[in-house]
Amino acid sequence: MITLTNLGKVFRTELIETHALREVNLQVNEGEFAALTGPSGSGKSTLLNILGTLESFDSGDYQLDGKSVKGLPDAALSKLRNEKIGFIFQSFNLIKDFSIYDNIELPLRYRGLKAAERKQRIEQALELVGLHARRDYLPGQLSGGQQQRVAIARAIAGQPRILLADEPTGNLDSLMARQVMELLEQINRQGCTILMVTHDPDQARRAGRNIQIIDGQLHDSTMYDPLAQHTA
Amino acid sequence: MPLHLLFKSLQRRKVVTTLLLVQLAMTFALLLNSILLAQQTRQQLQQSTGLPLQQTLQVQLKPTTIALRQYPALGDLLTRQLEAIRTVPGVVAVAYSNQGPLLQGGNNGNVEDPDREELSRANAVPLYTVSADFFNVLQLQVLAGELPQHEIAVDGVAKSPVVITQSLANKVFDDKPAVGRLVNRGPVAAVVADFYGQRWAGTVNYNSIQVAPLLGVDWGYSLLIRTTSDSTTKVRQALTQVLQQVDSNIEIFYIRTLAEQQQLLYSNEFGLASLLSLLSALMLLVSMISSYSNAYFHTLKHQQEIGIKRALGASKGRIFTELLSENWLTTALGAVAGVGCALVLNQVLAQVISIPSLNWWLPLLTCTVLLLCVTVATWYPATIATRISPATATKAL
Amino acid sequence: MEQLFYYLKVSWFSIKRAPLPYMLTVLILSLGLGVFFSNATFYYRMNSDPLPDKSDKLFFPMLMLVPYQCSDCKPPPVLSYSNVAKLDVSTIPSAKAAMYSADGYLRQHAAQPPTPVTVRITQRDFFSMFDVPLLHGTIWADNQARDELLLSKATAEKILGRTDVVGQQLLLDDRLFTIIGVLDDWQMLPKLYDAYNRQYLNPVEDVYLPLESGYDYNYLSSTNSSTFDDADFRKLATDGRNKALHQLQYWVQLDTPAQQQAYRQFMANLVTDEKAAGRHPSAEANQLVMLRDIVRYFGGESADIKAFAIVTLLFLLVSVFNASHLSLNRYLSNQYEFSLRRALGANRSQLQMQLLVDMGLMSTFTLAGAAVIAYGCTKLMNSLWPANHLFAGWDVQLMLALAVLTLFCSYLVTLYPSLRASFGSLNKQLKE
Repeated sequence: MITLTNLGKVFRTELIETHALREVNLQVNEGEFAALTGPSGSGKSTLLNILGTLESFDSGDYQLDGKSVKGLPDAALSKLRNEKIGFIFQSFNLIKDFSIYDNIELPLRYRGLKAAERKQRIEQALELVGLHARRDYLPGQLSGGQQQRVAIARAIAGQPRILLADEPTGNLDSLMARQVMELLEQINRQGCTILMVTHDPDQARRAGRNIQIIDGQLHDSTMYDPLAQHTA
Repeated sequence: MPLHLLFKSLQRRKVVTTLLLVQLAMTFALLLNSILLAQQTRQQLQQSTGLPLQQTLQVQLKPTTIALRQYPALGDLLTRQLEAIRTVPGVVAVAYSNQGPLLQGGNNGNVEDPDREELSRANAVPLYTVSADFFNVLQLQVLAGELPQHEIAVDGVAKSPVVITQSLANKVFDDKPAVGRLVNRGPVAAVVADFYGQRWAGTVNYNSIQVAPLLGVDWGYSLLIRTTSDSTTKVRQALTQVLQQVDSNIEIFYIRTLAEQQQLLYSNEFGLASLLSLLSALMLLVSMISSYSNAYFHTLKHQQEIGIKRALGASKGRIFTELLSENWLTTALGAVAGVGCALVLNQVLAQVISIPSLNWWLPLLTCTVLLLCVTVATWYPATIATRISPATATKAL
Repeated sequence: MEQLFYYLKVSWFSIKRAPLPYMLTVLILSLGLGVFFSNATFYYRMNSDPLPDKSDKLFFPMLMLVPYQCSDCKPPPVLSYSNVAKLDVSTIPSAKAAMYSADGYLRQHAAQPPTPVTVRITQRDFFSMFDVPLLHGTIWADNQARDELLLSKATAEKILGRTDVVGQQLLLDDRLFTIIGVLDDWQMLPKLYDAYNRQYLNPVEDVYLPLESGYDYNYLSSTNSSTFDDADFRKLATDGRNKALHQLQYWVQLDTPAQQQAYRQFMANLVTDEKAAGRHPSAEANQLVMLRDIVRYFGGESADIKAFAIVTLLFLLVSVFNASHLSLNRYLSNQYEFSLRRALGANRSQLQMQLLVDMGLMSTFTLAGAAVIAYGCTKLMNSLWPANHLFAGWDVQLMLALAVLTLFCSYLVTLYPSLRASFGSLNKQLKE
């Protein structure tokens, strides 16, 4: 599903060059739940951004569903993001003046879906995250955990192939974090590939696979048995 | 972006949006009324005068000694002046007249049929005392009768025949033939085509002309000169010297083409229209600055939001159009409010000056102009917005 | 003082941080104020009262003493010689003068080229009624015809090179006149004694001649004259005096309401008597118009200036709105810094003080910009409407008004943003 070949990313300022990622090779298969771990500044977020086509890369290749994204124009990249990728951010990134419903609807509108279909999908997503009753609330009126669930609903409403989560529980207390993790696992079980940046070793263990980055290089890739862990 | 979300986006900047709306409405109102006024002035300047404007020169002058201002010395002076001007190369015809056409006001009086005084009376009709060539100089077409060939004094025993313009003839004689009839100034010898006399008079095409010697010129007099089409400038340059050589005891007030004279007649309107246009341009500029700063600060303030939208799959083009359509919506709202403002301003202005009332297509035109300006002003900030990196913006916290 | 410098420094830094929005704010405010002010100058000057002590005591009586019938006509805006003679018998006014203006040519001797001059042909009370200052000499001893004239200061200097010229002789239209007086600098603006047909926009005249001499020498009115019978303009001395040849303004001074009432009664009686005598057919339509109302009475108010005044006021409003908009945006983007200062212990009054200094600085820049733009705009208006050029001057009072207006507008422009910045929720602002 995702294939990175010798992928590299360099940040340049006038004085210094920083190699955020070097020679990254990675294969992620359909249906996987992978955790991306590593110390601060190791390049996790950069890798996630590149996977989400939010950032470009300087060398190597990135193939999504067997097609290279290199050199695609902005419109094609936007379409790709909109249709295949869902994002979940640590700081939720909801638009604060939009209602819950409007927030979830946004990517569906970008895709140009008809109103009835949008409605159906939003309702499904809200049902899944358990916030159907709050559809007309503003994000500020919800707790952090609820906001993150809205963000998840927004990410999955478009029925993406891949969900990219950047420390989705980083701003949440442990109870809420557990709820969010359970939700992600549920989504994964329904067939959605998930890549999640996390600091939390427990969460990393709950994912099926742990990809470690240190100093911009892929260090280790440990396979767990998520279901065994989960039921334990 | 759907309309209700655009409205929402405007709503959360209530004060700023209101300020912008008020401005846009006022700009719209002023722009609209300026266009109206400019249009009116243009029409006034383009209305037919019935006169050869470009090739006709008018010299306004006055003798500086008492003797020369009175008959018979005056008659002699006029003869000499006309003769001298005729010899200037490029001059086709020349005539004297107590006053020129295309004036604000001047020498005028009532013209009426003595048998039906009140009914036939035309008030403040310009009264011209001219030499026989006057009609030739101004290329006035004779519609009926025959032009008088000799000067007959207006205070003589025999009445000096009168030539009147068509619309005056129709007014005084109720559309019946005028030649041979009598008006209070004398017998009507001919009817000529209409030409623009004095603006101050009720109907600008009423004119009454008598071929007669000038008896006194305490208010000055005019020499009207028609030139060939390519020699107007040359003749104009030569005139002062030619007239000074004939007799230096004269003061020349001005030498103008009738085209310039017509411009001057509407110089106040022209001035106001120019000033209003300038002000409208300034207002448009101010509105553009407003739209620009509005879009610019909006972009700065909502970087994160724009980043989120980009992450969710909005293309650069989409972000660009979203920002533009926000400003288009504001402009359209401003224009709607502006139509109201424009109506009020139109009414207020109509109390002090003459200004046509609004029509249906001008608001549309104005709105287009405003939209165009706003689009230009928003272009750059909207471009900046598209450059916001979704990766950085979504990491903002 | 040191604190003030500190505030100024902070203001300056804040300007330097975002110079473009600041410059735009100042520019827009200057534009609005400058354009408004230049038109306001004309408006104010044209509507100013040149004789504030007397403008409610001087009156122009107008009568329907004409040989034609008209049911609801206004009386003619100028009087005939015989009308004036009939009014002149009244002893109610404390001063009275008939007058008109003409054109003439002045020279020292026949060999000199003639200089065109404007001539006011009037009576002796004219000078006291309109507070005309005399530099040298005297005015006429009575209202009889005499070959004596008075010159304006500028004319004396132009023709004779000096002002002390009383007793010298000059040729006015080739007739010899003796100079009996020279006026001091005098410019009655607007020239209300001759207001019909927007004549009030013109400067006062160069030469002053007795009314009777003007009629004897056949000086025709250069502004407005009309005849209502077969009077011949070339026979002013006879037809002009006897027939319905109208060309005179006539002013009377009526100091008290009682005098004014008595004069109205006198006019009414006069018209009744004349009608009874069969000398005019129309119904009474007497008018006694106060000097300060005369322009409005003749409908000669400058419509262009008025229309433009409405529009420039609108423009000023838009500019203020726009500048507020810009300055609000500027403050919003500086809000973080503001809140930080508050978090560091600056109290609201200190912040308000800072904002006041900001405002002062903005006013200064704006005032300078507005003055430059107003100057340019006045020039432009002078070239487009040359008839109004006498009314373009600025005085201290006007400049002060501009300064106050600028301060007020700057205050308006900074008021709301400053309130937003200093009274908003600290917590929320810092978090943003």
